[in-house]
Order: sequence, then structure tokens, then C-alpha cells
Amino acid sequence: MRVNPYPMPELLAALNQTELKAQQAALEISTGKSVNVPSDDPSAAALLVDNNDQATFNAGFLHDLSAINGQLSAADSTLSSVQTALRQALSLGVEGGNGTLSDADRAAIVAQLQGIQSQVLALANSSYQGNYLFSGTIIGTAPYAVSGTDPSGVTYNGNDGVNQVAVGNGYQLAINQPGSQLFSAQGNSVFQALNDLIVAVGSNTGVDTAVNEVDSAANYLSVQGVFYGNALAQVQSQTTYLNSAKLQISEQQNSLGAADLSVAATDLSSAQTDTQAALAAISKFAGNTLFDYLR
Amino acid sequence: MAGLFGTLSIAISGLAVSQQQMETSSNNVANANTKGYSREVVETEAGAPIVISGLTVGTGVVLDKIESLRDPILEIQLNQATQQQSSLNAQLAQLQTLQTHFAGSTSGIGADISNFFNSLEQLSPDPSSVELRQSVLTAATNLATDFRSTASSLTTQEGNLNLIVQQSVDEVNSLTAEIASVGQQIAQLQNAHQDASTLIDQQTNLIRQLSGFVDVQVIQTGNGGINLATANGTALVTGTQSFALTTKTGSDGNSHIFAGNQDITSSLTGGSLAGTVQVRDQEIPGILNQLDQLATGFANAVNAANAQGFDLNGHAGGNIFTPPPAGGTGAAATLQVGITDPSLIAASSDGTAGSNGNLTNLLAVATQPVAGGQTPINAYSNLVFQVGNTTSDTSADADAAGEILQQLQNQRGSISGVSLDEEAASIVQFQTAYQASARVITTINGLLADAVNLGIESAMQ
Repeated sequence: MRVNPYPMPELLAALNQTELKAQQAALEISTGKSVNVPSDDPSAAALLVDNNDQATFNAGFLHDLSAINGQLSAADSTLSSVQTALRQALSLGVEGGNGTLSDADRAAIVAQLQGIQSQVLALANSSYQGNYLFSGTIIGTAPYAVSGTDPSGVTYNGNDGVNQVAVGNGYQLAINQPGSQLFSAQGNSVFQALNDLIVAVGSNTGVDTAVNEVDSAANYLSVQGVFYGNALAQVQSQTTYLNSAKLQISEQQNSLGAADLSVAATDLSSAQTDTQAALAAISKFAGNTLFDYLR
Repeated sequence: MAGLFGTLSIAISGLAVSQQQMETSSNNVANANTKGYSREVVETEAGAPIVISGLTVGTGVVLDKIESLRDPILEIQLNQATQQQSSLNAQLAQLQTLQTHFAGSTSGIGADISNFFNSLEQLSPDPSSVELRQSVLTAATNLATDFRSTASSLTTQEGNLNLIVQQSVDEVNSLTAEIASVGQQIAQLQNAHQDASTLIDQQTNLIRQLSGFVDVQVIQTGNGGINLATANGTALVTGTQSFALTTKTGSDGNSHIFAGNQDITSSLTGGSLAGTVQVRDQEIPGILNQLDQLATGFANAVNAANAQGFDLNGHAGGNIFTPPPAGGTGAAATLQVGITDPSLIAASSDGTAGSNGNLTNLLAVATQPVAGGQTPINAYSNLVFQVGNTTSDTSADADAAGEILQQLQNQRGSISGVSLDEEAASIVQFQTAYQASARVITTINGLLADAVNLGIESAMQ
């Protein structure tokens, strides 16, 4: 069978292929990616888009958790301060119920109690990064204002709004409690109780009842305030979870699209060897025919 | 005496034929690198014998024909393989350019979509922050910009393909004209009973070049004439007459290919024109359509979610994106953020500045079906897959087509290719035969002299 006497095009095509392989391997090494264009691995390219989306959302959740943590901690420590003030008020109240006190002594206790009342008001009106913590969603308005007409001595100018923030896929966390649920709940108002105690000590009547009222309001506040402790704990554990998820997402990105440098380097090296071999073979074809021998 | 002159004429015929054989070999050698050349071999046969005194004697050697070795079936197969490979290569080149717009997962439309939702997510704990709201607008603007620039690049590429179509049609016309003119020359030679091998090789080569552009089929008419037509029957060359194709801009703004009054653009099945048209009229519009659907679905969903809430001033939410055109066509090319005031983002669900309730609705767009029943990010990743897959498949097909073409060319080479070794051996062979015939003539010459001088001493030696 007569062979094709002009094999050069085929040899050149083979040479082209080895050079193409070398270029591909070099590109992988220089970019560090095995998927540089979608056609390199279409499924991986699509999955990498999804992976980036997951990574972005994950980073967003972590960012929010950090922001929420600050807000929740501020609120939590404010409530602790309120509890401290209320305990002080309780002991003052007990002292003020002592029948042996003089009018002047009782007046002094009343003054201290009024001081505590102002302190609690200021604490309830705390803000964090320019927003009031306890006014629900009317974050630009202080929750409590002094009122001459309201029996509790204050009016609540906030609302009942509670904000939820997504901290995971389908995982929403409430991040605030409105003042109306903490300090001025119907029948369990800290402000009402303090005001009543001040009146009781001042008139030296019903001090025991008033002290109990303050105690009861403080307990109620404590129970409601557990919300913040719980939320902080959830923030902690979700942060830990998301940090490990972040690693997994990153590993998946590597397995999908990162170049295996050792494999790519080997590919490059063997492609270069193949190229040299092809070049040597081609050069042998140049020139020798029977004409050279028929002199 | 007749015997000696007979022998002389036999030897002279041998000389002439050897000379012709060497000339043919020499022609082959000279044309060893001529594209499309088919090697020639000299067919000889013994001269018709005569009968002398009851004995049949030969009359030397006669030149039968000088034959060009080529396989017509192989030529047809080569044309088909060329058409296939050219079409695929044309498509591949365009697809490789096209897919760069979808490369990289950390940038581009997909990453922009993720970033947009991320900016809403980060607004959530502090919904009244003007700074964080501005970040949302920035993310939305980046997304809109990427949609517009991708759509614009694809449209530009589509436009460039029109130029390629026009240039290719010009090439086709120039080739068909040349084929017709060569055909005329072939007809003239064949009418004069002369050998038109060289011209036939030339014509075959031209047809092969034409196959690189269109799906041409060769129909042999009598007397070595040919008709060329495309697969769907459009006549390109009839005998010695060629028919030029024209291009006209169609209602889609693209160059359409016409044969007379008939639009044959979508009926081409091979050659680079078919491949280019395929990308221009199918692939690119298909991708643009998907981008338009995604842009439309996404913008409408975000606007609808915004309308469910209240902005920072307590007013009901309006549109964040300029509403896309009805029907969706051109949505990607015109996607714009329609607001510049960050307070217009309707994060609130009750009108208060600190409420983030409506952000839940805005964020829900990320997991809602907005285009083709898919979420925004899935619609995009699916598009990336399609583009990559089409390109990868076309690349594999082009490689395979190249292999087939190479194999066929090998076969053609083995039949028609000039082997310098072979020609060298032939020349030696013919040279020896020539020398032998010449030696015979010298001998006869001596014998003639002897015969003439029979028994007499004379001057003739």
C-alpha cells in the first residue's frame, strides 16, 4: 500500500497539539486556576458561581453577626446597670419603711430614690451608634420622656417593633426588645413601681407594698432581659458554625477550580518533552530522498 | 533490409517513449509541492504486432496516455470534510471570544448578583444607615453596568460577524467566477481532444477552497463539465457560468445572503459561512435573550419587593431599577438603577425609620424564581454552563472533524501525492531504457553500414 509521501501537515498538526497542551498547562500554573474559561469544565464553572454566592452570603451573615453582637451587648449591659439601680432602690425602700425615721431622713431617701429614677430613665434612653436601643423601630426618638400627667411619671414614645436579621439560610434572629415590653409593661412597669415607691416613702404609707412592686418589676425585667443573653449565645454559636462553613466553602472552591500545581507542572514538562520529540522527528523528514543517493 | 529499418524504428519508438516518461517524471518532481496537483504516470503499450512470413512480430512501444492519478470519490469526501471542519472552526473561534464574558466566578454578573443581596443583608441590622443604603445603590449600579456591558459586547460581536459574512460572500463570488472561467478553458481543451489534467487539478483546488466557505456539491455533467450548488439547491456554477451571491441587510439588522431574490442565509449547512451565521443568528441571540429574561425578572422582582415597604421618609416604596421594556427584549442592554437617593430604599415594613421588615422581602428575591423558573444566581450559573458546554462540545467536534480531514488528505496523498523517491527510481529506470534503446540504434547503424557495404571495401564505415 502506497503511503502518503507528504506527511508534513499531519506532523505539524501533531506538533500544534503538543504546543497547545504546553500552553494550557502554563496558563493553569500562572493563574493558579484549572477553570479559566467555562469550556475548561462547564459544570465546575457553573458550580463555582454558586460557590461564590454561598461564600458571599456567608460573609454577609458573619458581618451581620458581628454588628448585632455589639448592639445586643450594649443593651444587655444597660439592663445589668438598670438591675443594679433597682436593687439599690429596693434597699433604700426597705430602709425608708423603717418607722423610726425622721421626716428629714425620709426626705433624704426620697431624694436618692428620685436620683435612681432619673438614672433608670437615662439608661432606658440609651443609644448605640446613634440609634435608641429600646424604642422599638422608632430609633430616632428617645423611648421615654418625663410626663407630669402619666401616673408612672413617663410616657413611652417608641413602638412595639422588633427587627429580625437573617443570620443563616432561613435563620432569623430578633435583635431588639421594645421598652414597652421591658420597662413599662402593663402591671410590671419599672417606672410605675419606682414612682409608687417614691410616693410611699414620702408619705410613709404602703412602703412594703411599694417595695414588693419594685421587686416584682425587677424580676419581670430580669425575665424579659433573658432575651438578650439568649440572643448573644445564639450569635456566638452561629458565628462558630459559619466560620467552619466558610472553610468548607473555600475548600469546595479549591477542589472545583484551583489548579493542581504538581499535576499542571508535570503536564507542562511532558508536553514540552513531546514538543521536542516532535520537532526532532520532523527535522528528520527534511531532505533525504533517493535523489541524494543517485549522484 | 526492411528488418533492419524495422528494428531501427522500434528502437526509435523506445527512445521517444523513454524521453516522454522522463519528461513526465520531471514534471511530477517540479510539481511536488503544487497544491492539489495529481501525479501523472505514463501508460504505454506494445505496438500492434504485424505478421511477416507467418511470424507475429512486435512493432515497438506506443504511448497510450498520460494519466493523472486522482480519486473522484475521495475529492467529494474531502470537500464534505472541509465544509464540516470550516463550519466548526468558524463557530469555535466566535464561541471562544464569547465565553470570556462569562469567565471567572468572583467577578461578572453572577458575583454582582451575590454582592447586591449581600449589601441588603448588611443593611439589615441598621436599616436607617445612609452609608449602608448607599452601598446597596452602588451594588445595584455595578450589576446594571455589567448587564449593559455584557449585552453591548455580545451585540458588537454580532455586528462584527456581519462584516465577516460580507467578506466571505465576496470570496465565494470570486471563487465561483474563477471556477467557471477554468471550466471554460477545460471545455475548450477537451473539445480539442487535449489533456486538461492540470486545469482539472486547479479547478478541484478552487472547489476545495470554496468548500471552506459554503456547503458546495459537485455534479458532473457530460464532457467533464460540472455544476456547483449548495446542499439546498442554490446554483453557484452551471457549466461555464457562475452566479454571484449578494448580501442585504434584513429586518433584524444583520446581513442576509441572497441568491437572486431568495434568502438562503439559514439554509447553509457547511463551510465557514454556515458556522458564522449559526453563531450570529442562533447562539448570540439565544444568550442575549436569556440575559434579557434574567434582567427583566430580576428588576421586576426587586421593584415589586421594594413597593411592599416604606422608605426612610415613611413613603411607600417605588422602583429601584428603571422598569425593563415590556416583552423583555433589550432589558439587559438598558438595565439602569432609577434612583440616586439612598433613602428611597424601602427597608421598613411599617413606615418607621428603624424597621427592617421589608428587607426580608427584598432578600427573598434571591431565592425566588425570576427567570425560566430559576433563582437569579441559578439562572446565571446555568447560562455559564450552557456557554461553556457549547464551546467545549464544538471544540471536541472541530478536533474530530480535523482528524477526519487529515485522514482523507493522507489517503489523497497516497494516491495522488508525488513521492520524490519514486520519481527518482523511475528516472533511473527510464534513463537506463533510453540508454539501451540508444545502444540498439548505434548497433543497427553499424549493421546498416555493413549491409550497405556488403563484400565491398568502401568509404562507409
